[in-house]
Amino acid sequence: MLIDIKNITRRYQIGDEVVHALRGLSLQIEKNEYIALMGPSGSGKSTMMNMLGCLDTPTSGEYYFEDQDVAKMNDDELAEIRNKKIGFVFQNFNLIPRSNVFHNVELPMIYAGRDIATRKKMTMEAIEKVGLGARAKHKPNELSGGQRQRVAIARALVNNPSIILADEPTGNLDSKTGEEIMNVFEDLYRAGNTIIVVTHEEDIASHARRVIRLRDGVVETDEKIEGRKVFKKVLVDA
Amino acid sequence: MKRFLYETYEAFKIAIQAIRANKARGILTTLGIVIGITAVSTTMTVMVGMRNSFQSQLSMLGTDVLYVSKQPWIQMDDWWKYRNRPQITLEENFKLEKALSEKVIAVNPTVGTTRSVKYESKSLDDIFIKGTTEKETMTSSSLPEFGRFIGPLDVQNAKYVCVIGAEVQKQLFPTADPIGKRIHISGFNFKIVGVLERQGKFLGGLGGPNLDNQVAIPITTFLKSFGRSRGLGLAVKVDGVEKMDDLQEEIIGAMRKIRKMPPSREDNFSINRQDTFTKFYDGIMGVVGLIGVMITGISLFVGGIGVMNIMFVSVTERTKEIGIRKAIGAKRRSILTQFLFEAAMICLIGCVIALVISYLLSLVINIFFTASLSIGIIIIAILMAITTGIISGLLPALKASRLDPIDALRYE
Repeated sequence: MLIDIKNITRRYQIGDEVVHALRGLSLQIEKNEYIALMGPSGSGKSTMMNMLGCLDTPTSGEYYFEDQDVAKMNDDELAEIRNKKIGFVFQNFNLIPRSNVFHNVELPMIYAGRDIATRKKMTMEAIEKVGLGARAKHKPNELSGGQRQRVAIARALVNNPSIILADEPTGNLDSKTGEEIMNVFEDLYRAGNTIIVVTHEEDIASHARRVIRLRDGVVETDEKIEGRKVFKKVLVDA
Repeated sequence: MKRFLYETYEAFKIAIQAIRANKARGILTTLGIVIGITAVSTTMTVMVGMRNSFQSQLSMLGTDVLYVSKQPWIQMDDWWKYRNRPQITLEENFKLEKALSEKVIAVNPTVGTTRSVKYESKSLDDIFIKGTTEKETMTSSSLPEFGRFIGPLDVQNAKYVCVIGAEVQKQLFPTADPIGKRIHISGFNFKIVGVLERQGKFLGGLGGPNLDNQVAIPITTFLKSFGRSRGLGLAVKVDGVEKMDDLQEEIIGAMRKIRKMPPSREDNFSINRQDTFTKFYDGIMGVVGLIGVMITGISLFVGGIGVMNIMFVSVTERTKEIGIRKAIGAKRRSILTQFLFEAAMICLIGCVIALVISYLLSLVINIFFTASLSIGIIIIAILMAITTGIISGLLPALKASRLDPIDALRYE
């Protein structure tokens, strides 16, 4: 089992008010799943994503990531898990504006302490994989939105993480480009990666093989989608 | 370890990028550090330069020469303690010379006063008239540039001959050859036999006598002409600096024996040496230097505050970047290193500029006295700059490293 979440809660104190974002949520995720995490705002979707991404720890409950007890980890241990096991893809790309494509993709490996030769090789591989080989030296502001998101995907992939966690990955893209990005995820899934996409768009969720809907801090529905329309495999260059 | 190196290199690259991205801000921030480091390193250059020139002038006294005199050169206690001591006489000089003959290179007695010196219609006031012997060429560095020094026969026969200082020559004989000419001192007639090398002011910065404004005559002539009751100073040249301490004891013993002093009585003479001055100087200049460095240190402190301020701005501006870095696996330490590095880099750049300015200033200072920006000062300046950077970067860097990645990512 890749992720085993048992009865977690998460409370925030905002002023005098205590917000119960998660109220005893349980969830299991296996290797090589393609999950869409959905829910209206206030459903605990964002909190759940932070939890899955090891950016946050639960107030109570258990969270095992590849049998490691994440719930009890400190900041630096969480950073290590994020670095090695999780690849993030954000809605607004979150690239480092002053660094070029190569360096943005290389960064997780620097924090992982990989040596220079490995870094160079794996960075280039990841950039090729998302079809941006020719743009390695470009700065993010010289790229289109779709290209930026590809860079972010390359960065998420580069350390061979256990899961790729995408938060509204197409939210800032037009529908055509969004479709292209979803094709990239489809390819990654077929290559054996585990993908979790957080979204509120049914369109996007329809690419996944399992849809988990949250409401009021618990899982409302959790359904597997069988026999979904076969996706045409296109990897549009640049 | 390897990871630390990679992260450090990453921190270095980020620092360069960040500074390049905000050039105007960087320059302004650096300015404070430039002024601070320039002030500190220039102060140190001046201090070291003054000490060196003091030392080089003191070397005129000779590191291997002991001076026996009535009073100590530097009197820390009450002066009247020394006033009633007996004068050192020429007789005592000869006795001491005899007692030490096996152990020292030379003993030279000197005595001095200030008189006017006249040549034809020209007159020089406040000239130091020194009674001495031929042995002075062994105990001090005053050698004739041309002509000869006072000889043994001049001393024995109390001849009216003199050797004049370079400044006296320049004033009285701007064009003519002074050798063989006669000058008048208090009605006495002296034949010039030599001119001394130019020596410069003794302890120039401290208002010492100008050694080129002197006239040396045989000590016997001096005592005969200007009064027998004057006290002498004896210079004892030792064969090697390492024997100084032993010889000092030796001289004290010999003098007490000459003066037939019972063991219960305190010495009624003083032994002086060059390092007496050095210790005194270091005592005073140590305090002066400390105050100087503290005052200039304040400007560096102000510069440091500027860096801290700009680092806080930098952290706030880059909250999102910090969030991204943390999300993809940067630990607290990595973020801390990154910002400390940036602060240190700003200070180091300032330091390099400051050292260039300090070097140029040291060239100007060098006009007044020998001063140079030494490697030691450069190293101190660099260390101070890095320390300032790290100290002023610490709080902003800690703030950055403790940011919550979720909040930081959400920051716009």
